[in-house]
Amino acid sequence: MTVEAGIGYALIALGPSLSLFVSVVSKKPFLILTLLSSTLLWLISLIVLSGIWRAFLPLNSTTWWPYAILIITSVGFQEGLRIFLWRVYKKLEDILDAFAERVSKPRLFLTDKMQIALAGGLGHGVAHAVFFCLSLLTPSFGPATFFNDRCPKMPFFLVSALIALAFVTIHTFSMVIAFNGYAEQNKVDQVFVPAVHMVAALMTLVNFSSGGCLVAIPLLYVMAILTLMHCGKMVWRRLTEN
Amino acid sequence: MAPNSRPTSVLDSLGEEIIRIVTPVSICMFLVVILVSVLDSSSSSPSSVSSMATIAYSETDSDSSWDKFLGALWNSLAFVAVVTVVTFVLVLLFYLRCTRFLKFYMAFSAFIVLGFLGGEIALFLIQDFSIPVDCVTFFVVLFNFAVVGVLAVFMSKMAIFVTQGYLVIIGMLVAYWFTMLPEWTTWVMLVAMALYDLAAVLLPVGPLRLLVELAISRDEDIPALVYEARPVTHSDSGHDGGVVQRRVWRERHNSAHDPAEVPITNSTVNPGLHGNSNNDSASNANGTSIANENTSPGSLSVNSVHNVTNSVAARERLSQDSEDKSELSVPLIDHRINVGSQGHEDAIPSENLALEGVGLGSSGAIKLGLGDFIFYSVLVGRAAMYDFMTVYACYLAIIAGLVLH
Repeated sequence: MTVEAGIGYALIALGPSLSLFVSVVSKKPFLILTLLSSTLLWLISLIVLSGIWRAFLPLNSTTWWPYAILIITSVGFQEGLRIFLWRVYKKLEDILDAFAERVSKPRLFLTDKMQIALAGGLGHGVAHAVFFCLSLLTPSFGPATFFNDRCPKMPFFLVSALIALAFVTIHTFSMVIAFNGYAEQNKVDQVFVPAVHMVAALMTLVNFSSGGCLVAIPLLYVMAILTLMHCGKMVWRRLTEN
Repeated sequence: MAPNSRPTSVLDSLGEEIIRIVTPVSICMFLVVILVSVLDSSSSSPSSVSSMATIAYSETDSDSSWDKFLGALWNSLAFVAVVTVVTFVLVLLFYLRCTRFLKFYMAFSAFIVLGFLGGEIALFLIQDFSIPVDCVTFFVVLFNFAVVGVLAVFMSKMAIFVTQGYLVIIGMLVAYWFTMLPEWTTWVMLVAMALYDLAAVLLPVGPLRLLVELAISRDEDIPALVYEARPVTHSDSGHDGGVVQRRVWRERHNSAHDPAEVPITNSTVNPGLHGNSNNDSASNANGTSIANENTSPGSLSVNSVHNVTNSVAARERLSQDSEDKSELSVPLIDHRINVGSQGHEDAIPSENLALEGVGLGSSGAIKLGLGDFIFYSVLVGRAAMYDFMTVYACYLAIIAGLVLH
């Protein structure tokens, strides 16, 4: 609508991640590098997915089930990427521990490992927000706004910003949960993350129905809050059990 | 959990040097993207900037792709030829020990870039946003800005933050100017400059290689525009008895120079010997005949100089007063500067990263030539004319390349 509105939408989507970045990630250069590399990996995964799906485009936009298949395959691929990231992280942990021994510093603390996972998740979330929200926001810096037919109550930009915020939260904290689940061999955590991701992604299909965004967005936030709470409980448990 | 009660983790300081280079590059790229998107060419800017880079061919929209490509090729060849000639002149001057002339020339070219290019862009901004400012104020402010910039870059005693800021601004101005070249010319020119860099450094008659060999044989620093990050200090490394050691990375595959240990007692290395010696000035935006943007390739070429400069592993022992001097140049750092040698006095530490193209300054700080800044910013700035996702992807790719190398 104006420059202020454009910046406002951008901050809705990315504000919490910005504060997380400034308070946690920017203090430790290694976390900045982790964030950048996880952003890059997420981007590469998107490119691969779009390469695969290029053959099937354009999708028939009147029915919803091609989109469901699209979402299921994409989420599956990204969860596979998460397992791959976990393997890489294990190797990295060994390298870091060896380096710590050499410079006679203590090995990685639990909080360090969680911070690395947080930075990785934040990278994913920021990449998601930039690609699915910020790329659409350029018109919002102009003089008008835009309403979608199936969501006449909220401007399109606001809807995309809110959805992006929910997904940023989900991505950031599910990485922490997932890494912890793989480290502790905790089946609940390991299943929780892909399940939440899939459910949240499929929920966005509800936006297809008229007026659906009024239902989908609160549900999405329920998932985000669920992720947050689960992550909080898990972290609290891990930190107090020592 | 009091954070001070337990020893610092290895995570706190790992990767710090790289981040100190990545940050200014990111800032420069970000500023160029902002400039490009704000001063969009929807406002009627001239269809092409007449400069040295377009003497062979000026692109018009009506030409076919092949014509444009051929024209861009001619442009780039002309540009590379000019750069080669100028670099050889630079080598000659350096050989004849006209160092003072080079330094003054550098200062002059920095003044031109800041004054004229900066002034042009400021004028664009004033036009676009209808900022009410009168010419006298504008002139005074611009003049002061340019003079302070010259002093910051030229003399090393200024606060390092100011120097870094001005270097980033110079990079941004030149990069923005380059993005105003016609499209095909820009892309072909980037490729041509990269190839020229490789040739000039690796070939035995390459001007850059000659320059570096001269500099090494005389143990002098080449005057250049180089961004130097603040050195990394390790708070628990005090066991070297007050001696500041300087590491020069050894180039892995350059067998022409044997890694001699050269103890140098009196450090003549002045990190203030900065300057861009390749810039033939007179960059008047009204398109005078030899308006050229040689700053970029000059610094580009000098940057790759550091590739070959680091082919000799040398260890310097700066005396106590030089250490104070180097501390003066980094006024915000209180601790003794010791680049992580951990007490191994004789052997070259195996943590030598052997990074190519990134060198170490005289106080152990990480350096990156301004040409790299400009190169990346031009790339990203051009991408910004299409779509922001391209910008984002290019940015990530560049950062990945910078970190990994």
